[in-house]
Amino acid sequence: MMNSDNSWIVAWSDSLGFPEAMPQWIYAAAALICTFCFVIVPCGALMSYFERKLAADLQARVGPNRAGPAGILQPIADLLKLLQKESRTEWNWKENIWLSVHTMALYSTLAVLPLGSMAVLVNTEMSVFLPFWAALVLALGTMLLGLGQNSVPGWFGGIRVAAQTLAGSFPALISLLCTGVRSGSFRWSSLAESQGFSPWDWTLLANPFQMIAFSVFVMSGLVLLAIPPLDGGLSMSDIHGGVASHLYGRRLSLFQFGRFYGFFFWSVITVVLFLGAWDLPVSLVNSLKSMGAHQLLALSELLWLLVKTFALMLLIIWIAKVNSRSRVDQITDFVWRVLSPFSLAALVGSSLWAGWRAF
Amino acid sequence: MNLIKKEILTTDLTTWTIGPYHGSLPAPMRLRLSLDGEIITDCDVETGFLHRGLEKACEFQSWRAAVAYADHLDPECAVFGELVLCLAVEQLAEIEVPARAKCIRVILSELSRISSHLSYMVRMARAVGSETIIHYLLRDRERILDLFELLTGARFSINFLRFGGVQADVTDGFIERVLEVCELIRIRMKEYNDLFTFNFGFVKRTSRVAPISKDLVSFCGVTGPNARASGVSFDVRKKFPYSGYDRLDFETPLGQGEGGVLGDVHDRFLIRLREITQSMEILKQLLDVVPSGEYVNRKLAKDSVVPPGEAYSRIESSRGLLGCHVVSDGGPSPSRVQFRSPTLANLLAIPQIVRGIRIEDLPVVLASLDLGIAEADR
Amino acid sequence: MKKSIFSAVGLYVRDVLLGAWSITGSCMTAFPYLLRWGDLRKEVTEGYPDPISSKTADDLPTRSRGLLFNDIDRCTGCGECEKVCPSRCIKIKDEPGADPSKLWVSVFDIDFSRCIFCGLCVEVCQPGSLAHTRQYEGAAYQVSDLVASFGRGTVTDEHRSKWAILRKMSESDEASP
Repeated sequence: MMNSDNSWIVAWSDSLGFPEAMPQWIYAAAALICTFCFVIVPCGALMSYFERKLAADLQARVGPNRAGPAGILQPIADLLKLLQKESRTEWNWKENIWLSVHTMALYSTLAVLPLGSMAVLVNTEMSVFLPFWAALVLALGTMLLGLGQNSVPGWFGGIRVAAQTLAGSFPALISLLCTGVRSGSFRWSSLAESQGFSPWDWTLLANPFQMIAFSVFVMSGLVLLAIPPLDGGLSMSDIHGGVASHLYGRRLSLFQFGRFYGFFFWSVITVVLFLGAWDLPVSLVNSLKSMGAHQLLALSELLWLLVKTFALMLLIIWIAKVNSRSRVDQITDFVWRVLSPFSLAALVGSSLWAGWRAF
Repeated sequence: MNLIKKEILTTDLTTWTIGPYHGSLPAPMRLRLSLDGEIITDCDVETGFLHRGLEKACEFQSWRAAVAYADHLDPECAVFGELVLCLAVEQLAEIEVPARAKCIRVILSELSRISSHLSYMVRMARAVGSETIIHYLLRDRERILDLFELLTGARFSINFLRFGGVQADVTDGFIERVLEVCELIRIRMKEYNDLFTFNFGFVKRTSRVAPISKDLVSFCGVTGPNARASGVSFDVRKKFPYSGYDRLDFETPLGQGEGGVLGDVHDRFLIRLREITQSMEILKQLLDVVPSGEYVNRKLAKDSVVPPGEAYSRIESSRGLLGCHVVSDGGPSPSRVQFRSPTLANLLAIPQIVRGIRIEDLPVVLASLDLGIAEADR
Repeated sequence: MKKSIFSAVGLYVRDVLLGAWSITGSCMTAFPYLLRWGDLRKEVTEGYPDPISSKTADDLPTRSRGLLFNDIDRCTGCGECEKVCPSRCIKIKDEPGADPSKLWVSVFDIDFSRCIFCGLCVEVCQPGSLAHTRQYEGAAYQVSDLVASFGRGTVTDEHRSKWAILRKMSESDEASP
């Protein structure tokens, strides 16, 4: 279901000169494609470069330094290399089907990805929960992809991913509720409005229970989407990357980019829920609005959101590079024994806090 | 109906063959695993993929060139293979070794031990997926390899030991640089510990996993750090001293069961860390008083023959007891050279200890045994 | 002994905090590397053959065992190196030449695809003509390119007869005074 108020469309269509009469779905489709091409893909390339450079700096190495100045073109070189590769195995219909299911489930979340006050396509009371649906379908797709591969690494990788996802979704959902308790609504817009530019207005620092909820949410997201360091299902040392072990060339690049996108959307959601969303200083927003520079406002909101997202992602990558990978039974153990009780405690605590504040 | 039920409910054991090349294997070998879900129920180890016919090849070489072959027994710590062969031949031909040569040999062995244990830690780090520490460890091992290059001219297969001594004297500044490297590694040790040894995730991954019991140690003939981690106090340097180890004051660390069970992966890892410290203490003692004199037995004629007979020598390599049996018929080349490698005993222990662990722990367990497959296959 | 619920919860919370503390500690240990604090934490990678590398062949230790080089003018063709070589990578063919003090080395091939750089041949070389250089860049596109030839070339029968006369002359020279 689309957003009921069309303010975002009007703001864009006026300035870009689209005819008013075009049906809404065309705008929505155009918005999705633009988001994918001009936000997600560049972010993926940048992030892979940052990840390599950060890892190199931590490990007393130089990192990419051949393609372009300081190796900045390395992601493009990698992509070209992967596209050239030929598939090792013959055409496998199962693999193709499950890879497309996997990919479609993943990118369906683009519709609910909040990237600024004027770039929220689906803004309902349920929009926060939609990514979970996609994450579960994604896990199902990964599992079936693994089972369809006819290899032991694929089976184990698929089953482990499914086990992790099932475990991780419970604390993720519970800790998500904590933010709703504070903002009073699960609309992206009201979640953003309940926070502010200064870190003291963020949900993270509202009360100690929100801090617990934040750490639980981030960690359970890592479990849910099998992101290092909690990626037992895609472990490199024993099962050669699990599901990815039998993917080659273009399929591998599709799969790897999907993994990046999962990580990215989880970080964006975390930033919107806990780290002050896209909120800029009120005075700046007002002056931009009075000048009528809606696009500039949208762009600066997007940039501010992405800066915070990248910071969060780099922090997680730092932890992943330095620490050792956990075993899958330890991960699920950790989720049920540590994350779940803590998320419940955070929910009770933040509810009591909100009730006390209401009085 | 019955049929369908049967088909769904049977949980057969899965067979998974890994190898000879696989990411979870530290060296080329083949494992046939029976898996119950993710639990390993049985394991069959097949080796021999790195067989080079090294012992046989020695029989076609001159005695002198046989050292160059023994050097390739284990590429990672070449000096041990050379040393054990030299000791056996010296015992057979009753060649006197000057004190300075003995000292240089012990310096090289202890440096090799440190470098081998550093690579052991690299393999452990790779198995548990901890990337950063790998680069730190390799960087520091590089300093030791630089020392080898300075002294012998080669980094890995040094071919430096000769019957009755060593090839050349220590170069200027070598001893200072060894001390420098010792000091550096002592500083780094704290970093390794903070980053890796006492890391919560690493301890969780390694403690209580695949312990080797004392019975298994004696059953399989496991020696070296793996046996000491299980509480068996056996060190060739103490029991059968060679090359002047009896004059050095050092202790062999024993496993203490910090991970929960004596002789588990965590103990095996910690024992290596303590041995690095121990080796550095030995080096400091040695370098304080390097005896002066010749570095090789000059009285030995260039073309002297090894008298007929046989001899056996054993040393403590970084992986355990390394033995060498040499038979001579008085000819220009050895008539039989046989090595006893510590890794073969460790390989025998694998099927016993991996039963009941998860396949995610398999790389960690294999890495923790320090398998030098080159010396087992020969 | 029965544990009270409070001690169990206490242990649980302690474990969680310890885990968090240890993981933070590990991250902070690597932090100085990000900022390159001190000499001990510089990056050590040396690109090859990029100009950031400071090392050349001259920086290697003097004992460094690089590719072998044979100074054929000093070589007597005694064949000791061929005998001692453990990997049998040296091939020598020689015959009496004009100079009676040494042999004419027509073929002296070192097959670097087999050489293990053990240095035994250099050790046994009496005239000191065979030596390790500090050159280490030995890669080639063909295995046959890895064979280094130091020989003086093959000899024809014409040469042989001429040299035989020369040898006789020098022998008679030595005998006459």
